[in-house]
Amino acid sequence: MERVSWRTQVLSKHLQQPPSQSPLSSNPCLSYSPPELSERFDFETKEMREILDAHNLQDRDWLFGLIKQSGLFNPRNAGGRVFVSPNYNQSMEQQREMTMKRIGYLLDRGVFRGWLTDRGPEAEMRKFAFHEVIGIYDHSLAVKLGVHFFLWGGAIQFFGTKRHHDKWLRDTESYAVKGCFAMSELGHGSNVRGIETVTTYDSNSGEFVINTPSESAQKYWIGGAANHATHTIVFSQLNINGKNQGVHAFIAQIRDDDGNVCPNIRLADCGHKIGLNGVDNGRIWFDNVRIPRENLLNSVADVSPDGQYLSAIKNPDQRFAAFLAPLTSGRVTIAVSAVYSSKVSLAIAIRYSLTRRAFSLTPNGPEVLLLDYPSHQRRLLPLLAKTYAMSFAANYLKMIYVKRTPETNKTLHVVSSAFKATLSWHNMRTLQECREACGGQGVKTENRIGHMKGEYDVQTTFEGDNNVLMQQVSKALLGEFVAAQKTKKPFKGLGLEHMNRASPEIPSHLTSSTLRNSQFQMDAFCLRERDLLKRFAAEVSQYQKQGESKEYSFILSYQLAEDLGRAFSEKAILQTFSDVEATLPAGSLKDVLGLLRSMYALVCMEEDAAFLRYGYLSPDNAAAVRKEVTKLCSELRPNALALVSSFGIPDAFLSPIAFNWIESNSWSSTQH
Amino acid sequence: MASSLAEEEQVLVEEKLYARTLVLNRPRQLNAFSFQMISRMLELFVAYEEDSNVKLVIVKGKGRAFCAGGDVAAVVRDLNQGNWKLGANFFRKEFTLNYLIATYSKPQVSILNGIVFGGGAGASIHGRFRVATENLVFAMPETALGLFPDVGASYFLSRLPGFFGEYLGLTGSRLDGAEMLACGLATHFVPSTRLSMLEEALCKVDSSDPVIISAIIDKYTQQPHLKDKSAFLRMDVIDKCFSRRTVEQILSALEEEATNKKDDWISSTIQTLKKASPMSLKISLRSIREGRLQGIGQCLVREYRMVSHVLRGEVSKDFAEGCRALLVDKDKNPKWEPSKLELISDSMVNQYFSKVDDEEWEELKLPARTNLPVSAIAKL
Repeated sequence: MERVSWRTQVLSKHLQQPPSQSPLSSNPCLSYSPPELSERFDFETKEMREILDAHNLQDRDWLFGLIKQSGLFNPRNAGGRVFVSPNYNQSMEQQREMTMKRIGYLLDRGVFRGWLTDRGPEAEMRKFAFHEVIGIYDHSLAVKLGVHFFLWGGAIQFFGTKRHHDKWLRDTESYAVKGCFAMSELGHGSNVRGIETVTTYDSNSGEFVINTPSESAQKYWIGGAANHATHTIVFSQLNINGKNQGVHAFIAQIRDDDGNVCPNIRLADCGHKIGLNGVDNGRIWFDNVRIPRENLLNSVADVSPDGQYLSAIKNPDQRFAAFLAPLTSGRVTIAVSAVYSSKVSLAIAIRYSLTRRAFSLTPNGPEVLLLDYPSHQRRLLPLLAKTYAMSFAANYLKMIYVKRTPETNKTLHVVSSAFKATLSWHNMRTLQECREACGGQGVKTENRIGHMKGEYDVQTTFEGDNNVLMQQVSKALLGEFVAAQKTKKPFKGLGLEHMNRASPEIPSHLTSSTLRNSQFQMDAFCLRERDLLKRFAAEVSQYQKQGESKEYSFILSYQLAEDLGRAFSEKAILQTFSDVEATLPAGSLKDVLGLLRSMYALVCMEEDAAFLRYGYLSPDNAAAVRKEVTKLCSELRPNALALVSSFGIPDAFLSPIAFNWIESNSWSSTQH
Repeated sequence: MASSLAEEEQVLVEEKLYARTLVLNRPRQLNAFSFQMISRMLELFVAYEEDSNVKLVIVKGKGRAFCAGGDVAAVVRDLNQGNWKLGANFFRKEFTLNYLIATYSKPQVSILNGIVFGGGAGASIHGRFRVATENLVFAMPETALGLFPDVGASYFLSRLPGFFGEYLGLTGSRLDGAEMLACGLATHFVPSTRLSMLEEALCKVDSSDPVIISAIIDKYTQQPHLKDKSAFLRMDVIDKCFSRRTVEQILSALEEEATNKKDDWISSTIQTLKKASPMSLKISLRSIREGRLQGIGQCLVREYRMVSHVLRGEVSKDFAEGCRALLVDKDKNPKWEPSKLELISDSMVNQYFSKVDDEEWEELKLPARTNLPVSAIAKL
């Protein structure tokens, strides 16, 4: 009833608007009213932002301001507001130069101070916060920095030892050297162990010799290689006295200080891309490139001056796993930046839907606001709830990353793989839905959303193809299952402890209050995970009994593997949401988070056919879930503006359609 | 009824056709805003918005000042008698006026022919047109007083080019008319000899169209000459140093500049910062930084929280001390507490931005503004 009267108020207000002088405005629908004037704010958006951003809020705002105040970041005026966004109409070469100029500006202002030379969780969290803000401005800029600091710098930190740290970290932080990270090859991407680049040792000169033995071994997609990088990490097979010791990492110079390509190095461009044209992805060939013995990053293994291979880790599998550690930080930053990209698009699309009207319910009646259509709510609000849930998941991932220990490595690997894939897929889906929800305005580059589809698409495959990562998640879960069966020990870790308890019961008749109960939601997610894990294990073992190899059995069971990976991710995300809720005092803020959590849980249930296919929900219960989603939509609708305002993305980083799009498109705005 | 007569006399009203000219009339106090003046201004502005016979509001000051700010001496008198809420009430009224001006549906022309300090800026800069003259002296001197640039300054300072706003807000440096025009705080420069003609022309206007009004003012303008030593010509140094993350980093960036080359302007800037209240510097910087990303309403609500904390003095009593040293005893030697930047923790600064823990205290509630013209909405 409250809602009905609220709608009546909105409509009557809308009708009573006095006609303004413009000849176009004889229809009252064609005037812009800022949504802030009519929408409700039941909770403190500032407090909500503190929960969402979770750390370094002032540092973030400083950096937003730093970007907004500089002409280098392409400020443009539209509808009386300043918006900052790169000029994507520039050529690829111009965009790449602008990326470097922006890096220079941020460097001069001290943004990168301590990114590699300060240690500890506080420094890492600040670095994350800055990187997130930069990603909100432009994905190219964030990726270019990510390659230099997280991949090149991270490789030196993690694979290198003191001599490398002393020599390279300070110079990296000041951009005296510009680093890149040559792992992928034309013939090998996610399968790093299969790379073909080969390095031998020459004990006469005390040097390593790096070679690209075939065209498929050329290093490919190497960010920074096409134009700017002076040095690279090279991933290569290490061949000592005819024996292959597996993949190792080396430092090689590829350009001198003046930008000239070094001898025995060949460089080429990857060319124009569907996005990220501000990043100079390139290709590298090594022709007997000689580097000093000290350039082997030797934290895991070393080669003595006389050519003996030395490693504390005898098992090549474990040695290889140790090498992949820096890629974890890449996955963390991808997962987090995917969430911020979703936030930008939802903030724009929801603000637009609160100011744009279409179609009247009655002849001569006022046109209806887009977000007052239940169908429009159903398109955007579940994505909003998921984005909230994934914000908490991303914060949790950052936290386990900065607090990592050797014991938590497996959890970190599995969770970062699952979240990187889930959050980046969610982002692509959100961008597409938001783009459509803005109609034609969504395809204008100045409105960001449509363009961001191209900019962020790569997230689903770089630093580990999402499908491969999700298979690794299922494989790890299967490993836990098999081990628990073998040792007869209870499950411990990866959130599988619920497997030790009795299987949860789903009530045969689900009421609204049960559906919104967090225990019920968690039970349903646990039931799905446990059942899928058992089915997956059974199917793999069935194939093995039929004589298939373990590996091929796993490949044949891909459908259940996918379902299980999704079940794991969604449950882990729900858990992080509940954990955040539990820390909050009762009040309007907690109430709205409860609605969002229920929306997240129920929409996941509605979307995953596994719930029906395997009978976790009866058809009647599935119908009840679906009905509840629409109810939640209408309950979240009044808070939509407050919820996107809580993202804390400054107006200048949204786009003209998020504000007075009539003014920013007026004739007078074309006249100067 | 004598008091109400005095009230009206502090703001003189001239009515000509569609124009209303408000003259701040407290010349002995350099037209510093008393509570009564602000109340009266608020009443008049509200009435004129409703009144279709009013198309234009002109604001000017009598004597050599436009307005030297809020009458803080009165606020401090209350404060010293243990009544911080009276002071808070003053700011509540003043900020409400600032908001009304910032979202006003009719054009306001402020004639800035003399001193414009603090609250004077709040009553003019938020309006549509700000006319500077050769007599203009502008400053936001609050950090020297243990306060912070309020009256919505975190909105307008943060929107100046580069980091000029941080520079003005932290140092309290003075600007002349040419500099005001150059940085955008003024929209026009008119020599004072032409003011009477300008006002006469404005009083004949029968339109609220900003384009028409701007065109009228344009007829009397002159391109002023920016003095060689203007801070506005030092934007490279200002951007480099005042963009830093913290006050400490700003100071060390300035000191680094000073060691690289001897420069009186830089050393006097450093001296000014060192003389200001350390707590004021910290909260002012953060206020400007937050303001850069907020609308005018949010800025004022936050500034009201801040000023309430300043008045309560639970973290620092620098405002009372600054007023004592500069306005009452005039020894110009305030004893700031905390005395150094490094003694101020983040949580101390945070407190200024939190709600006030007092049952009787309320957030600043701004009047609902509907059906605003585009020019006013842009400031929301």
